[in-house]
Amino acid sequence: MTAPRYVDVFDTYNRFISGDRILEKDWDYYLLPNNASLMKRRYGINFGSEIIPEDQDMLDRLFVAGIDMLITTGVYNRDTGTRLKLTEDEIYEGLKMAPKKLTLGEGKDAVECTARRGNSMNKPIIEGGPTGAPVSEAIYPTLIESYAQEPMVDAIVTGVLETVKGHPSVKNSPWEVRATMHELTYAHNALIAAGRPGMAI
Amino acid sequence: MGMKHSDLHECSQLNELKMDMSILNMISAWHLSGDNILVEQMPIVGGYSGGLEETAICDVASTIASFALLNADIHLGGPIHIRWGTTTNRQSMQVAAATAMALDTNTDILLANQYYTLAGPCTVMNLLETAAQAICDTACGRELLSGVASNKGVRMDMVSGMEARMMGEASMAACGMDIHDANQILDRIVSWYEKFYFNIPQPKKFQDCYIVDEITPTEEYMSIYDSSLDILSNCGIDF
Repeated sequence: MTAPRYVDVFDTYNRFISGDRILEKDWDYYLLPNNASLMKRRYGINFGSEIIPEDQDMLDRLFVAGIDMLITTGVYNRDTGTRLKLTEDEIYEGLKMAPKKLTLGEGKDAVECTARRGNSMNKPIIEGGPTGAPVSEAIYPTLIESYAQEPMVDAIVTGVLETVKGHPSVKNSPWEVRATMHELTYAHNALIAAGRPGMAI
Repeated sequence: MGMKHSDLHECSQLNELKMDMSILNMISAWHLSGDNILVEQMPIVGGYSGGLEETAICDVASTIASFALLNADIHLGGPIHIRWGTTTNRQSMQVAAATAMALDTNTDILLANQYYTLAGPCTVMNLLETAAQAICDTACGRELLSGVASNKGVRMDMVSGMEARMMGEASMAACGMDIHDANQILDRIVSWYEKFYFNIPQPKKFQDCYIVDEITPTEEYMSIYDSSLDILSNCGIDF
């Protein structure tokens, strides 16, 4: 059935609120693994020994298996204890809404992240940084600058400040929020120091 | 202070095919503000979903969910191995490669991958792990590479800009490469570092492998970097 419109984040919330109730342990240990196994059998998905698959027909079946998995299983919300479902047409509407190009950063430091469509000669965007690894406060800006100064790096991904002003950045506390704000300040200062102030974070 | 619309506003789904209210709340603000939205999900290889193929099926489904339910502009993957805690092991790369190629050849969505290596900075193993995944991700059509969280991203200050340099250099060298050729090169590189899984080399913190005042890698790290390039060249990749 044709979808009237794509599903946005607000529709997603509404569907979770009215979704069917499932225990999280049933999701983790029964519904999800059983359906994944079913899809593997249904679509005959078997990887060979090579790292990158060379069988395009198998890749097409894997794509359809993923769509079927999403339709059949849905998505679980651990806060509401419910799962939502969506139709195949809604999935394709969502894929159509996805951008094929994204601008990251500003001014002369901006880069275009464009769909490469296979292994084109266009280099992927390089987002350099600690990728969530813990970093001590004393060296944070300097460490970020070590990425920003690399010609290969197009954008920055930050690390996690272990402490702020000596206080541990405890999860779900004001110190966690403060740590995030300090990470951003340090990152901005590092980009300025490296002469690339418009680079995306 | 703060973030630009053109920065990547990142939040994460939960394992597997799960989310919570915090991700919906963050995205609702970013979506209405016109911010770039990056949704992350690192499937566990050998976790809830099962084996390699089952994990890839869930990975494809989770990636599509980012666009079909969460207004994502780009999806960041990173299959993580339940035993090794890395994305650079052979099985994680198999899942990442299959997922990326299944989506890349059937859609135009933007795909990213993140890097968690076993070894740490100032080691050949870390640079080879990084190069292998960069070759794999690039050959499979991914649009953005994010890293590197060396030493599984859990040890303090065990990261530096040099690992990102290798990620970029290896990616550029792999652009346009035939998939069959990429597979042969990957097998040689992965076979090189797999033998160190139970005996990983001693890493160095950023403070110990950079001249911090000058933000310059030490001579030792530069020598290790050049040795890594030589090994990669012998594996068949042309820098």
